Amino acid sequence: MFDALAVFIPLIPLLGALIIGLGALSGFLVGEYREPLTADIATWALSMASLLALTVLGADILGENDGVFHLGNWLTSDNLNINVSLITSGFNVKLAALFALLLTVACKFAVNYMHREAGFHRFFFLLSLFAAAMLWLVLSGSTVCTFMGWEIAGVCSYLLIGYAYDRPVATQNATRVFVTNRIGDAGFVAGIALTYSWINSFDWLDLNTAATEFSSGQVNGIALCFAVAAMAKSAQFPFTPWLARAMEGPTPSSAIFYGAVMVHAGVFLLILLQPIFAQAPLGMALLIVTGLLTAAYSFFVGLTQTDVKSSLIFAGSAQLGLMFLECGLGLWQLASWHLAAHAVVRGYQFFTAPALMHQVINTPIKPLMPGIAKVRWLYTAALQRCWLDQITDWALVKPIRGLAHDLSYFDDYVIDRLIGVPAPAIRAASSFAQQEEQSLGARLENDYDNFAQGTGLAGKITEWFAALSHWFEERFILRTAPKDVAGVERKFGRLANNIERIILRPRYLVLFVFITLLIAF
Amino acid sequence: MNETGLPLLSLLVLLPLIGGVMVGYSPERLARSVALTIAVVELLITLWLLSQFNVAQGQHFQFVDNYQWIPSIGASYMLGVDGLSVLFLPMSALLTVSAILASWQTAHLKRLHFALLLALEGVTIGVFSALDLLLFFLFWELTLAPIFFLIGLWGIGPKRRNAATKYTLMMLSGGVPLLFAIIILALNHAGFGSGHVPQELTFSFPVLLETPLPDALQGWVLLLLVLGFAVKAPLVPFHTWLPTTAIEGPTQLTALLTGLKLGAFGMLRFALPLAPSAAVQYSWILGIVGAITLIYAALIALQQSNLRRLLAYASISHVGLVIIGISSLNVQGVQGAVFQLLNFSLIASSLMLIAGFLQHRLGSTEMVHLGGLAKIMPRLASLSFLFALASIGVPGTSGFPAELLLLIGIFTSHAGIAVAALAGAVLSAAYMLIYFRGAFFGPLKRPYNPNDALALDLRPREWLLLAAPAALVLWLGFSPNSLLNTQQLAAEAWLSHLLDQPVINVTPVAEQTDSVLTSPE
Repeated sequence: MFDALAVFIPLIPLLGALIIGLGALSGFLVGEYREPLTADIATWALSMASLLALTVLGADILGENDGVFHLGNWLTSDNLNINVSLITSGFNVKLAALFALLLTVACKFAVNYMHREAGFHRFFFLLSLFAAAMLWLVLSGSTVCTFMGWEIAGVCSYLLIGYAYDRPVATQNATRVFVTNRIGDAGFVAGIALTYSWINSFDWLDLNTAATEFSSGQVNGIALCFAVAAMAKSAQFPFTPWLARAMEGPTPSSAIFYGAVMVHAGVFLLILLQPIFAQAPLGMALLIVTGLLTAAYSFFVGLTQTDVKSSLIFAGSAQLGLMFLECGLGLWQLASWHLAAHAVVRGYQFFTAPALMHQVINTPIKPLMPGIAKVRWLYTAALQRCWLDQITDWALVKPIRGLAHDLSYFDDYVIDRLIGVPAPAIRAASSFAQQEEQSLGARLENDYDNFAQGTGLAGKITEWFAALSHWFEERFILRTAPKDVAGVERKFGRLANNIERIILRPRYLVLFVFITLLIAF
Repeated sequence: MNETGLPLLSLLVLLPLIGGVMVGYSPERLARSVALTIAVVELLITLWLLSQFNVAQGQHFQFVDNYQWIPSIGASYMLGVDGLSVLFLPMSALLTVSAILASWQTAHLKRLHFALLLALEGVTIGVFSALDLLLFFLFWELTLAPIFFLIGLWGIGPKRRNAATKYTLMMLSGGVPLLFAIIILALNHAGFGSGHVPQELTFSFPVLLETPLPDALQGWVLLLLVLGFAVKAPLVPFHTWLPTTAIEGPTQLTALLTGLKLGAFGMLRFALPLAPSAAVQYSWILGIVGAITLIYAALIALQQSNLRRLLAYASISHVGLVIIGISSLNVQGVQGAVFQLLNFSLIASSLMLIAGFLQHRLGSTEMVHLGGLAKIMPRLASLSFLFALASIGVPGTSGFPAELLLLIGIFTSHAGIAVAALAGAVLSAAYMLIYFRGAFFGPLKRPYNPNDALALDLRPREWLLLAAPAALVLWLGFSPNSLLNTQQLAAEAWLSHLLDQPVINVTPVAEQTDSVLTSPE
């Protein structure tokens, strides 16, 4: 009977976000004078969500819930039905209650922290929207709905990293973080599509019950797709650097997004898909490897961080790596407890980060382990975060940029000239002066004589043939032939060399290999 | 096929044409009001038509107007809409209203400008509703005249004349294969009747759909039709007119060109159904062409620094995705394709109109001239961001259900191409957000006085014309079924026409081919 209440857990923050957003856009909720009103709306919405989440949790503990609440149909196309349903029992509800409480705390904290900031109303709009997205993500029972929350949370994260949008570094990092996460999103969508094409359903529960019926290739494929999504969202090994970039946002948002709530979405996804991963040894192996790598990498890099937010964030990603490891080893219960405990502790640490000086006044920060401090190259590597960002730039961003540059040139100078500019357009009068010139008969740019002009099809063909023979004769026979031919040959040779050089660039080789693989696949 | 008392479609085609003449003869200062009134009336009629449309019979052509036109060659004046095409009518009307509002302050030749916009609207509605191939071809080519003058006379670039000529010549050359294909189809019909060529000719689309086409001709017809439509769609390598037009042409017209994808619509409506077995056989080639277009244009978009060129390439890239969706030959792909085509009229055109607003205020849409605009134009920035998110396909906007359907459709048919589509999704986030960062975020490039005309946020009229598509984008993202239900039956019928054909006709087609080859003696 309490199942229906679950709908309102994400709905009320969404409503709050709508009111604040429309208010700010229409010019009502602006300025310091309206700050208390905005803060009240957001706090009220989040408190209500927590209260409801706790109620649903209580009902679940007492065994009053059915487990699933069907809300209706979102999209239908032939035999494809995307239903909206909420899971109202077990881990999902517990996590929803925890996250809702943490979000409320963050909101309370931010009311004072953000006072008189330029984007006060914008901040609370985004916080409420994020709360709605996150609670929706945790509660929803279908892959597509979870993805909605997943992606909207990502957009909120983008906008909060770029909160101080007049600072170039902040927006640069925001873009980078969003695009990095987009790779994980692609994995998520691939997982959704594969699931649909194999079991014709979008339901998490259906997917989990079908886990044993899949062939090993199928189950590993699904597990890998969702593992990539989880790795990107929870900042696992190759993706870890985005987390440090995300520290540009205001402290309450760092606390709630990257300390307490959003980074745990990846681990949540893994725990949700426990039956699938249990059947997929390849997926489990991937989790173990990335978890270990992330934990080691974050520990190592975290040793040399000099500001409080960076060192906290690397401590956080190390813990997330351990959670991945636990999932990979099949210790699901441990991973879920770890998740919840880490969310609380790390959230608290971030909230108190601005007051760090008060805490360390009697306990000075320990110096770096001498083992690393003395080995200079290790120290540099840790300080440079193992050049992971630079390596990504070199291996991925630069080649793609280069490819884009080459293609853009190709488009303008080859395709456009081959197809796009018919001769009349070149000679068309584009300015008044040109038209005057033409009407006066001053054909300044005219370099061919009108002697051989044909009309009709036959006439034109004769004309073209005559022009061709004339050109041939003039270029190769009348002029000192050998020299000119050599020139043309040299030109062609240079062109061929150029093409070969371009094609042999690593990015094209990689591209060709990739295309070949796609076609073979 | 239900007959209504009122020839609604003819009214819809003729009203803007007559209205154009009226605008031409109205006083200069009243011209825009008259034009706006006519466009609004047209929009209301299209909405009324939509409300009268019988969704339960969506697979049949409705509101059919059928009169004899040129009886000696069997051409008729036949208009009608089914579930696939009916939604394009209100979208075209809405877009024309937006275009008129956006060019409200056109300074010179006002009457001609608004008359041409209305004429273009009438002809475009003709393209969407023509059911006679000759009539379709007439409307198709008639779109060129208004567009030629609109680019040439009101373009904002210095080479607008060149751009107008280039556009017209490319479109005319695209028309040639189209006409060839139409003639082949008509002759083929005559050949299967008694063989009397002028009497037995027909250009009626419903009749030609039922006429079997020999396998030997199917491939040619498909190739010619696809070639003709590819120029207008546009597909690589016939796309070079769009970036040129976007830079040189007036933004209200470019918004119409990027918003109403006549080429892709023609592909869906005519090219594949008229050569069904070839379409099934060669769909994978179409898919590969679409994938190349998608990735190629997305990579070039990454390199653009001008918003209008960027949007042109973004729209080419999205067309690539639509073409892959159509070629996947399942209901999800087709419905996603139609959905995405309708999205263009909301999203791509709104972004292009916003580019026009920026151009009008600041004299440029180059990234180096912009920067920090979110500070002085918060409303314009917020709405642009919403449309940018919709273009990326973020959940909550109408871009998401369309892209999801397309991806699911593609995954179930060509998994290899789907990987390319996912890469395109990552790239689209990259190019949109990189430009957005450069234009709207960061420090202001020069000091703006708040009362300055340069720093003006959205005017009420601009606010209105963007609010309508913005509301629709959010509504369709929330409830995609309201749109999908209309086209459901038509998409299924479209598909079964294609897929059931080869099974039924395997032997008859072969026999007919033999008889065609032997009968002339």
